[in-house]
This record gives sequence, structure tokens and C-alpha cells, in this order.
Amino acid sequence: MRIFAAAFIFSLAFLFSCNNKTTSSDNTAKYDDDVLKSVIINADTLKTFDFVNARVEAIKYALQQPMPVLLCGDSLNSNQKLAQQIALHDSVFTRSTKDIGNNQPFRSEIFGVYPARESDLSTIKNPVNLADCYRVEMYNYPLNLTTIALVDIKQQKVITTFTQQQTQPEIPLHLKNLAIKIAINSTEVQEAYGIKPSEKDALMASTKTSLNRTRCERSRHLCVAPTFVKDGKALWAIVDLTDHKLVGVRWTNVGTTGPAAPMITERRLQDDKVTACFCEKETPLQKDGWKMNYMLTSSDGLRIAQVSFNGKPILQSAKLVDWHVSYSGTDGFGYSDAVGCPYFSQAAVIAFEPPKIMEIKDDGGNFTGFALEQTFRSEQWPSPCNYNYRQRFEFYKDGRFRVAAASIGRGCGNDGTYRPVFRIAFATEQNNFAEWSGTNWNNWPLEKWQLQTATTAYAENKYQYQLTDNSGTGFLMQPANANFGDGGRGDNAFVYVTQSKSTIDEGEADLVTIGPCCNTDYHQGPEKFIEPSPDNIQNKKLVVWYVAQLKNDDSKGREYCWAESVLENGVYVTKAYPCFAGPMFVPINLKK
Amino acid sequence: MLICRVHSIACCLLPILFSSCKEEVVDFNANLCKGSPAFIKTLGFDSRFSYFSSSNMNVMGMQLLQSELPGNVNARITKSFQHPTWKKGGHLAPILIDDAGNIYTSPAPFINLLDNPIAKNNTIYRVDANTGEMEEFMRLPFQDSINPQNPYGIIAMIYLCETGTLYVSSVAGSRLHEENGHIYAINLKTKKIIDQVDNTDAMGLGISYAAGKRELFFGTGRDTDVQVITLNSEGKFSGKPQTAFTLQNLGPRGDDKVRRIKTDNSGNLSVYGMEFNFNLIAPREKQETLYRFNYDETQKKWVHQQAP
Repeated sequence: MRIFAAAFIFSLAFLFSCNNKTTSSDNTAKYDDDVLKSVIINADTLKTFDFVNARVEAIKYALQQPMPVLLCGDSLNSNQKLAQQIALHDSVFTRSTKDIGNNQPFRSEIFGVYPARESDLSTIKNPVNLADCYRVEMYNYPLNLTTIALVDIKQQKVITTFTQQQTQPEIPLHLKNLAIKIAINSTEVQEAYGIKPSEKDALMASTKTSLNRTRCERSRHLCVAPTFVKDGKALWAIVDLTDHKLVGVRWTNVGTTGPAAPMITERRLQDDKVTACFCEKETPLQKDGWKMNYMLTSSDGLRIAQVSFNGKPILQSAKLVDWHVSYSGTDGFGYSDAVGCPYFSQAAVIAFEPPKIMEIKDDGGNFTGFALEQTFRSEQWPSPCNYNYRQRFEFYKDGRFRVAAASIGRGCGNDGTYRPVFRIAFATEQNNFAEWSGTNWNNWPLEKWQLQTATTAYAENKYQYQLTDNSGTGFLMQPANANFGDGGRGDNAFVYVTQSKSTIDEGEADLVTIGPCCNTDYHQGPEKFIEPSPDNIQNKKLVVWYVAQLKNDDSKGREYCWAESVLENGVYVTKAYPCFAGPMFVPINLKK
Repeated sequence: MLICRVHSIACCLLPILFSSCKEEVVDFNANLCKGSPAFIKTLGFDSRFSYFSSSNMNVMGMQLLQSELPGNVNARITKSFQHPTWKKGGHLAPILIDDAGNIYTSPAPFINLLDNPIAKNNTIYRVDANTGEMEEFMRLPFQDSINPQNPYGIIAMIYLCETGTLYVSSVAGSRLHEENGHIYAINLKTKKIIDQVDNTDAMGLGISYAAGKRELFFGTGRDTDVQVITLNSEGKFSGKPQTAFTLQNLGPRGDDKVRRIKTDNSGNLSVYGMEFNFNLIAPREKQETLYRFNYDETQKKWVHQQAP
């Protein structure tokens, strides 16, 4: 996946562990240790192994050949080799080895050549000698397609060919061995197992019983799961044979009686871990003077709470309530998506991976702060009508912070407008909210909304609003105006300010979807807490609602809120074009 | 109709004291009694080509559709109708028609809860066979306080023709670590709950007589198993649910949960499986797989029929 070039560079430092011992009020006691201790490998990691280099080179070499098919890596006898060659000269058998549209090669590999079985020939009308017949199985990685040819080596021809969609042939021995080698050389497996397991310790039974499906339902890569049994338990290592890397690790009990242990797949590993560690408990975070708790919600994305900087309370909470997506081509067509947890939630787009914590560097390479980021994805993204949303909180050492989010498409069309609804509740009990008039700051006496437009005035060409307490300290609010170096083109945002009431919950708890998909005016949901009788917001605890408006674009070179699949090295990879939105809050004393 | 199958002399000698030893054998019944709602004809629809749908994602509520080829989702729709009252439940899911042609349905959230507040998700609506008007029929009890994590209430219905009993599954109040769902047996004439199975998040109800018993099949929403419970001649539950068979390791995913169970004229089961985790991921993003199970008289068990 290509990340949009940003002015600042993230140095990645991931926190994937689930420290369930730190709090007593969580629900993690209901999970067994196997879930809590499971490991999800970061999908962005470039970690691989030297011993796969030869295979990668072989793949690249094969893709450059007129017949871009990797030959069977297992030892074959002369008849099997002959059958393989005959099959590869058959135009029907090799029909799916290239993209019909642009003639680019797909990564294909002969997985096996086997003596034909009687059942293979049941539909063959002309008499053939079974002993002369071989079954050649080819796997197409990007299409997840199995093509099988029945070859008569005596007649030197293919008798019949058929394909099986979304199916994988028996994994060849050399790939099983490679999967085991990747597993035993992975630090995560060694740490979970206690020592580095030997190749003899690995069982591939799980692979043999799931011939027709991958363990990686979400990445749609070819994955297998070597297991290592120890002390009555099985350690599952899911290995991605498309990218040659470990996906994750989890223990299960090995029972001799009773129900079978659940099949461990990429999806189950991810959903169980994310739920146990981030949906059921808050995680404390302390860094660069900032202190907070964060957790995934049922429908309001990643929520941060009790946020303080150098001991001073800043935010009661901040979260992403909704994504409203409308398409201009069809009146009233669109969706109102909530983002949140994978199990038991109101989320339409869910978290697959744990939140990530990243260092932020400035242009000079200096560490200036950190970001807390969460991705929510539809399973089939970037296929049409599937979505990918990224939520990000940035915290800087100088006290600035930003509440941000991005859509990464792809949605149902190129005429879409995304409207993320942020809720930012400040901690100070007595605040005032003011807008820059062009010459001075004008306080808002009552709850109100306003739209950022082309004629909006900004103090110092940046700040649209300020939020101050009685002592005059507080924050300047800088909306996104293509000025944060993240590729964002401006938010054209609706800003609403409401009073935070102690007696009525106006969104502090998990909110159901508060607005419909397709309103183009200020009716995005927060106005419900203002109309019909706006409350006084002078010297009050305040909530700022921020609804950005982001128009997607699929035109070449101008892609925005968009994603597409492209063939690279014979497999599909995703090109992502995020559209980041969200305001920065700058401490007023920083300006002084 | 009921025959006593004698397993042992002791059982027959003491049938009252040892009622669990006796097993009813019930004649086969295809459980087909769906009536045709009379109002369809008054609207000019041909009942042979018409059906009710709640699955058009661009139309909230229920629709009456006339198709060139009913059963084929790609066939051209030649006529459609929506009574104004058919939207009052928000997005709807199960549609059941009784022998008098009355239609029973219930709300089911689609992508979000804007039109399907959780508080209404345990409501059964009835469309009158003569007038076509939809009215609230009854509200099932909420066993628990409304739980914002679980957006679902009623998720399945099936009608037993013999007894006029509507079986309704609700998962309202269920939580990640607490299976609080129920299957209710409702006498449609008296509008009374006559029996219930508790602590079960049943999905995809289906009835079959294939095993010589009147049996209700369902998935659980929690795992890949298909459960079965026997129904007695009054439509009440007899005994406790048992695992009949499983979808584990079947199909392209290997861990499907039951979405729907249909019974054919022979009592064989068509089980539609898909991913389900009690969230609001759009159904179109999920692949559904059909699994067929036949009852093997010799082995006395349900056997998965491999696709040809």
C-alpha cells in the first residue's frame, strides 16, 4: 500500500501487546490467555527473511518469461515433467496467466503434477489409458484460482481443463517447508514457544485439511498454518506464502475429546485479539508529557479520554462519531457508517488491527511528538462499495494536538462526498468559544454552528476559532486548509459548539448514528443538540463538533479519498490515496 | 399420527414414569401451508408471480414485487407496491406468511440504526391478509436493559402449520460474553407465548419432519453448529437443543454461521451460511454459501451433500 507522501515522516513503533494486568475494571478476565497473548504482526512491516530471496528472484524471473508460470518446485519424475510441459503449451490451461486487459502477467505456479485418478476421467468420453494420464494443478495467486489440466503424455495432449474459483490446490512440499522455515525463524513464534522450534516440531495437518481455502480471508493471500504442539497445546503460526511472512501467532488447546478447537485464521486471530485487548478495556498511554486512556468503541471509532498535558486536563474525550457518505449522481444515495469493534457493535466498518502508536518527525528529522492511529476496513476493500477509514490523533511535545481522520475510498463511485463527524469534548469547566472576525475575536454567547468557506477569515492566516478559559489560556483552532502536509485539500467544515451538560448525555457515551448519509447542509447530527433552543455557552464546559466535507476524486494524478488495485510483481497491491481532515489545536501560550 | 416407538420393554411398561424413554414418531409433513394474501389481487398483482421482499437496500420496509421469474433475483420486476404502513418498522428482515395469508415481519437494522432504534427491534408486525395494512402485532419481552453493543433483536421466524405456532428468535439483550437470546413459540390465535428456549441466540429457523420427528433447526450466531429441538403436537418444545450437525470446515470459509434454513418438500435442509459477528457490516460485503443436508435413515443422522 502506498501511503501519501507527507511532510512529516512517521517512525513506526507499534504497541500490539495487550497488557491486561494494568486495570481491574476490564472484561479481559473473560478471555483465555491464548487470545490475550496472541500476536498480530503489523501488516505494514517489511520484515522478511534472507532465505526467501531466491524464491522471490525466481518469481520475478518467471514473470518475465513468455509463459510467466513458476514451474513445480517439488521433484518430479520425467513423466510428470513431460505432463507439466504439455499443460503449459496448452492455450486453454494457460488462459488465465495474463491479464486480458493489459497483458500483464499474473503470478502463477504449478503446485503439483499427480498421476490421474479414475474419478478424474469420469467425464472423459474417449477411451484413455489411466497410467498415461497426469493431473497438473496450477495456482493463480492474484485471482485465487486453481486451474487443472488432465494430460495424456502418450498422446502428448491435454484431455481436459477446468478451473475452480477461490480455491487453492494442495500446497506443494517445498512451500510447506518454506512456511515452516518462516515460522520457526520468526521471533514471535520463538517467543511464544519458549525456544526456537525445530522443523520436526511442525505439523502441517491443518494445511492438509483445508485445501480449498486460505487462512488469510482478509488479505486474500495464500496462507497456511504450521502448528507446534507443546504441553497439550498447539501454537498456530499463520504464514503468508504470497508475501513470505508471518501473519500472526496463537495458542489453542489440543483436546482429545469434546468439540474441535476453533480453526485459527487471520480473521479470527485479528477479531479476537482486537476485541479482547481494545474493545473490552481502556489502555493507558503516557508519552511526551501527554497522558490519556484509549479504547475502541462500538460505533464511535477510537476514543481517547482523560487527556492531559504536563498534568493539566485538556480533553474529557474525543472520538469519531460517524462517517456520512453521499453520492451526487443519485439523489439520496449513500451510507451513514459507524466505525468500531468487530464483535457486538453498531459498526459497519470495523477495526482489523490494533491501534498503532507512531513517532512524528519534522522536516529536520527531529522527533516532535507522536500519533495514535486506528484503521477501520471493509473486508473486500478496495473493491467498489467497500470502505477504509483511518482515524488519527496527533500529540506534540509543545502541547499542540490534532484530531484527524481520512477516508481511503473506495466507496461506490467517483462522485462521493465524505463527511466525518468528530466530537471533541474539552475538560476545562469554564470555557469560551470565539471566532476570528478579521480584526478581533468575537465570543459565541449561545450554542451555534458555522461553515468554513472561501471567505472565512483566519487569524495569522491559520486560526479560525479560539477556546479560552477565564485566565485567557486555551487553544487556537486551526482547520485543515491544505496546510498540514498530509495531502489534505481543506475541510470546508461545519463547526458546532455545544454545552457539555452533566445532567444529560449528549454524546459522551457511545452514540448511535446521529445523521443520515446525504444531507449536504448543516443537518449532520450535532445540530440536534443545539436546536430548537440553543443554550448559553459562555463560561461553560464545551464540546466542539467538527464535520469536514471531502469530495473524492479518481482522475489520474488527482486521486483523493480513493484506492485502487494494481498488479505489481504478478499480484494485486493496493494504491491508497487518503484524504486527511481534522483541526489542529495550538496552545495560546505557545503563540505568546 | 403419533405412534409409540418401543425401545425396550421397560419403557413400554412404565411409559408415564419414564416418559423420556418414549419417542414420538410423527408422519412426514412438508409444513407447507402458506396462504395467499387476498389484498394482492385487489392491487392487480398476479399471485403466481408475486412475492414480498425486504431486501431492496434502496427501499426501507417491505415491498410487494411482481417478477417475470420469481425466485430468480436477476429477473425483471414488472410491478412493485409498498403500502404506506410497510415502512413503519424501519428496515425489515424475516417475512412469514401464515395459512390465512397474514404476513408477519420484524425490524432488522441495515448498516446503521437511524431507522431501526434498538427499542423497537423486538417488535413483531402483522400485515392483514385482507387490507394489506401493517400493524404492531406484539412486542417480545426485553429480557435485559437495552444493550448498545448489540444492534439486533428479532432475527428469525418460522411457522408450524400443524399447530398455528410462530417461532421467533430474538437475540435482544445478548452480549459478547452472555448468550441471552430466546426462541419464543407464539400461538398466533391467542397472541400468547406458549413456550420458550432461553440463553440461545438462534439464527435461521427451519422445520423438518424428515427424521420422523417434528423438529426445529437453528444456528446459534455463536458458532458453526446447527442445533435441533423436538416440537410436540402442541408446538411446544420437547427436551433441550442438541447439536445436529456443523458447518465447521465446510465451504470457502470453514467457519460460517447459519443465516437461513429452508426445507424442501422432502424435509431436506438447505442451510445458508455466512460470516456473522453481531455487527452492522453491510450484507453485500459478505459472501453466502449454500450447504445442503439430507437425513440418512440408515445412519440416523444428517449428512452434508457435496456440491456436484
